[in-house]
Amino acid sequence: METIKVQDVAVNDLPWRIEYHAERCTRCGSCVASCSFNAIEVVVQRQSMTVSEQNQPSPVRRQLALAIIKQKKDLAYMCRGCGMCERVCPNNAIRPVRNPDDRKALLSRDNGPIKRGGRTNLNAQRTLDSIIVGRISQMTDPALDSVRHTFDIRAPFGRVLSPRELPLTVSGDKLEMAHRTPPVRWIYPLIFSDMSIGALSTRAWEAVALATAYLNEKCNLPVRMSSGEGGMPVKLLESEYLKYFIIQIASGHFGWNRIIKAMPHMVTDPGGILIKIGQGAKPGDGGLLPEAKVAEHVQAIRGVPKATLSSPPNHQGLYSIEESVQKMHLSLNAAFGFRVPVAVKCAASATSVAVYHNLLRDPYKICGGFFIDGIQGGTGAAAEVSLDHTGHPVVSKIRDCYLSAVRQGLQGQIPLYGGGGIGLTGNAAADAFKMICLGANGVFCGKVLIQLLGCIGNEKGRCNACNTGKCPTGICTQDPRLVKRLDVDRGAQKIVDYVLAFDKELRKLMAPIGNSSLPVGRSDALVSTDKAVADKLGIQYVC
Amino acid sequence: MFHIDTMEGHQRMSTQDLLLKIEEAVTGGETDFEITGSGQHDIGGPLWHPEGKTLHFHVTNPGQRVGSMCLDNTEIVVDGPAPADVGWLNAGGKITVRGDAGDTAGHCSSGGKIYIGGRAGARTGSLMKHDPLYEEPEMWILKNVGSFSFEFMGGGRVVVCGWDSSQFASVLGERACVGMVGGLIYVRGEVPALPDDILCLDLEDEDRAFLAGGMGDFLDSVGKPELAAELSDWSEWKKLRPLTFAEKKPQPQPNLADFRMTGWVRGGIFSDVAMDDFAVVPTVNKGLYRLRVPSWDNGKYASPCEFNCPSGIPTQRRFDLLREGKEEEALQLVLQYTPFPGSVCGTLCPNPCMEGCTRGSIDEAIQIGALGAKSAQTKVEPPKEHTDKSIGIIGGGVAGLSAAWQLALRGHSVTVYDEGEKIGGKIEQVIPRSRIPHELLEKELQRIQDMGVKFVTGCHVDHEKFEKLRSAHNALIVATGGTKSRFFPWEGLENLTMGLDFLKKVNAGEHPKVGRHVVVIGAGNSGMDVASDAYEMGAEKVTLVDVQRPAAFQKEIHRILDLGGSIVWPFVTSKITPEGIYAKDGRFIEADQVIVSIGEAPETQKFLPDDPKIKRFREDWLVPSEEKMIMPGVFAAGDVVKPGRLTDAIGDGLRTAHCVDRFVRGEAITPVVEKKVIPMERLSRAYFEKCHHCDLPENPEEDHNRCVSCGTCRDCRMCLNSCPEKAITRNALPDGTWEYVSDPDKCIGCGICAGVCPCGIWGLVDNPEPIPMYRTYGREEMRKCRAQ
Repeated sequence: METIKVQDVAVNDLPWRIEYHAERCTRCGSCVASCSFNAIEVVVQRQSMTVSEQNQPSPVRRQLALAIIKQKKDLAYMCRGCGMCERVCPNNAIRPVRNPDDRKALLSRDNGPIKRGGRTNLNAQRTLDSIIVGRISQMTDPALDSVRHTFDIRAPFGRVLSPRELPLTVSGDKLEMAHRTPPVRWIYPLIFSDMSIGALSTRAWEAVALATAYLNEKCNLPVRMSSGEGGMPVKLLESEYLKYFIIQIASGHFGWNRIIKAMPHMVTDPGGILIKIGQGAKPGDGGLLPEAKVAEHVQAIRGVPKATLSSPPNHQGLYSIEESVQKMHLSLNAAFGFRVPVAVKCAASATSVAVYHNLLRDPYKICGGFFIDGIQGGTGAAAEVSLDHTGHPVVSKIRDCYLSAVRQGLQGQIPLYGGGGIGLTGNAAADAFKMICLGANGVFCGKVLIQLLGCIGNEKGRCNACNTGKCPTGICTQDPRLVKRLDVDRGAQKIVDYVLAFDKELRKLMAPIGNSSLPVGRSDALVSTDKAVADKLGIQYVC
Repeated sequence: MFHIDTMEGHQRMSTQDLLLKIEEAVTGGETDFEITGSGQHDIGGPLWHPEGKTLHFHVTNPGQRVGSMCLDNTEIVVDGPAPADVGWLNAGGKITVRGDAGDTAGHCSSGGKIYIGGRAGARTGSLMKHDPLYEEPEMWILKNVGSFSFEFMGGGRVVVCGWDSSQFASVLGERACVGMVGGLIYVRGEVPALPDDILCLDLEDEDRAFLAGGMGDFLDSVGKPELAAELSDWSEWKKLRPLTFAEKKPQPQPNLADFRMTGWVRGGIFSDVAMDDFAVVPTVNKGLYRLRVPSWDNGKYASPCEFNCPSGIPTQRRFDLLREGKEEEALQLVLQYTPFPGSVCGTLCPNPCMEGCTRGSIDEAIQIGALGAKSAQTKVEPPKEHTDKSIGIIGGGVAGLSAAWQLALRGHSVTVYDEGEKIGGKIEQVIPRSRIPHELLEKELQRIQDMGVKFVTGCHVDHEKFEKLRSAHNALIVATGGTKSRFFPWEGLENLTMGLDFLKKVNAGEHPKVGRHVVVIGAGNSGMDVASDAYEMGAEKVTLVDVQRPAAFQKEIHRILDLGGSIVWPFVTSKITPEGIYAKDGRFIEADQVIVSIGEAPETQKFLPDDPKIKRFREDWLVPSEEKMIMPGVFAAGDVVKPGRLTDAIGDGLRTAHCVDRFVRGEAITPVVEKKVIPMERLSRAYFEKCHHCDLPENPEEDHNRCVSCGTCRDCRMCLNSCPEKAITRNALPDGTWEYVSDPDKCIGCGICAGVCPCGIWGLVDNPEPIPMYRTYGREEMRKCRAQ
């Protein structure tokens, strides 16, 4: 007789159920040993029965007690669906199965709002998938050959002046610059974005950094990596590779002490500075690093004790956009002698166009890029209510910003970068291409990178445990036992391979529309099978 | 000779008209054509003479695709230049252009010969092929070709003589041979950068023979025989050919591991703050990298019986000893905890141990009380060593005797002083003999005396006596219990009989007189005792009243109900008269005697000094410190502190004795450490099948088969046999006990041991061993690093 009460948490209340076949199980224990969430355990199960094997009722009692693997009925130890058990099981005896009747959202607010990592699980619908590259050069004009033609796949990072504003003077038979113009770097239109030291393990961060350097050094792809808001490794700051990295400053200003201290020892300028105002996954919310991940090195780099680190939702001391431009942009331009472009990243918002206008009107021409981060961006930790219910899709926002600049004849002056869900369905090149055709100069992506490293999370509720410090793949944790599961070289290799294929695929899309340089704003190349999307973006509706 | 001039005045003949005329003429047997063209396309093919004769074309000013799809036995000479696609899809004809050719000359040709007497445009020779059934195609070009030539070329030979081309950076333009997979290109002059899979080689004999063999005819055909010598310095020539499929090596793959080791920041970018060798550990590990490790927690937790017993008797250990066949040890074990296993555990105690028994959640609790009775006769050897400490205990009830027993076991001299004629407190004086055989009590009291405890009975302790005792002993324990019946100031108190006096008189054999109808106020256990004695003394009808649900044990209630008693509740007494008792709500129960039994209170003011430092609760009960002390060297135990069951008094005596022992030894007094009860989920009850009530063993000692042995290893070896890594060994210890040990070098931390352990001995905990990976990085190290 069992004594279960109706309000006890049951396995069927949890988002994932463990499907276990005792008859296949060898009791090798690997599944339990590998589960970082401690979600399964060994228990003894009893099978008792009274059987009769004679020609007349002859009751014989049989009892069998056997060890089985069982899922814990506990929200604190709930299965996250990561599937490590399935990976290690030699006999296909165990695997997590999504539970459609899950009541977790109702039951797990005992300690306040639900927190998790990942990205929105409610708003994962994909505008970009209803858009097709539908205008193919055929008999009207020549398509290019993606393999044999030379393509100019570079995007500006920095404030681009209009030709009229160039300080050109004629000196004899030569043109000369009367004074310096804002710094502009021509980079690959794919930026590795903003995952902090702390949110990522040392190994995961290093793998992304290693891939960045490799792509620059060996593949001639000037990909840039943004540091995220947790500072930079001092050894990287003082290395020649610094030029491939964009140093981020967010409201917490974490890690800037070591960055400034490293300045006299820098052998090159950084690739850029990115002021993070907001983040697509949790707009209006500051960064969040749970205590479980604030290991000694994170404490050291950030200059804080072991505690849950919340960045303020806005930069302290900035009360207006004008002040933001003056204080942050000017100061960070000044920090590197006005040689390094400074860009700003905001969460996509109903107000993005107004912000972009303000930046475009800035008479000092000091903003070198506007990064718009959509609702499908990722995060290491956030309140679920923010992840699922706040934010703004990035696609139409990029389009709105671009078109409003076009109307003023200012397009291209502050490069637009779009992110948040780039590569969500696997093909970042297609996403990037479409974003560029709609007006972006380039895109930034983060989650696809960690997925390449081995992250098994997705926007259908799988894993999303980046905030727990128990990342089974060693990516979003600082626990050495888990961190050391991650192979830096293999992870970096995967990113490099992906970007090399991205580059080829981007050409595959540029060639048929006949563009040998990035088709920024060439929305004529796109059609949509969704009338509303087509109307909103001003592209052809097709069916 | 068939001559066509395609212009008549300003009228130009269309391509279609020209080609139909030529075809008509060929069908008619014509073989020689002189065509003055005006840009007509596709002159020369595909045509064949009905008798297979060779067709000769002499063309000026052709349009695109002269000689396209040309068959063998067709010879075309273009006087002057020709636009794009000369010899497109040429399948066998000999096509000579004496001037320049446009773009894509020879495009897709797979037979015949094409001679160009000047330059050829972009994409010349692209997609040329060689059908092995026929001769391979040739294309000879006197000067140079444009960019993107020979793309995707699959066969045939092309000769680019590079004459009059020194003004070009390359005689092949740019990006030649992209995607070329077959064929040969002979080239004289500057060669551009070529794709990685194209070889640029010196000529070999066969090449020289080919060139020498064809050069004369080519130069003659294009009208430059004088160049033969100039173009025949073979040292100026190169041969281009693609790697064969077999020769092609796979593209070197990015190798990030190499890059990290050789190109990357030495030691890694985090080497200042993270010590990492970049070695990758598998998902399942042994030793240090296990996520969790087993922990052998034998005896760490109390079993429920142990936990629920105020004296903490670890009954599971008794059954483990019985299972091992150590009956005597099992029966003796309980005497480490109580001197009254027979009188209390086996007789008077409601056995809270059994209420919490794990087995009770399977079928029925283990028969613990009955097992206690088995120890009633068990002898215990007195301690071999004695201390010089003497302890006096005031009060010879169970609390005092429990403390006396414990202290005697520890070798101290103990004297118990009691006011009564007989030692034993309430068991002796109050509890009806019907509930406990007197001989059993006497035997257990004798065992206490046998242990060396001195009993001093009839000893009235007043203030003076107290001080004497205090100076006579190293420590005193006050365990005088509750000695006066409690009551409320009801109307008619003069009609009330005190329960405690009544019970004492009965047990003393004084046969107190009782009424016919007796009402007992208070339906607790002592109320039941009063009722029972009242019947014993001749009452006809006993009614118990209480303000709340009767607190007595069910067993006791039933005993009284069986005797004909009744219980009325809630009943709030207001008045007692010689006729009976009134409730506040006006109810009246007829009675000629009303006895109160709602508990007793201590009367310590009679002997304790009037010291405000002695803390009390409601003026009656003593409140000792955590060390069980009420004043220096004076301790308290039992009902004098808090009214409770007999078992509570025994437990309190035990804990007080522990403190007294430390005190007289001059050690710091630390209270007895209470173990936590074992969490139910650590136990594997699934091993135990429900037992039918009829199958319970008559002898409680045989219940060891049913005992789960919660929290204490039963040595079943399930862990040893279940461990998938064979990491567990069993070590026999010198004292006859054992331990199981898990070898960290074998264990993967799967917790199968914890899962299969019936007793909850093995736990699975997060691996506590730290891995030193991160650091802050000292200034000195940073300085050194920068200096490097």
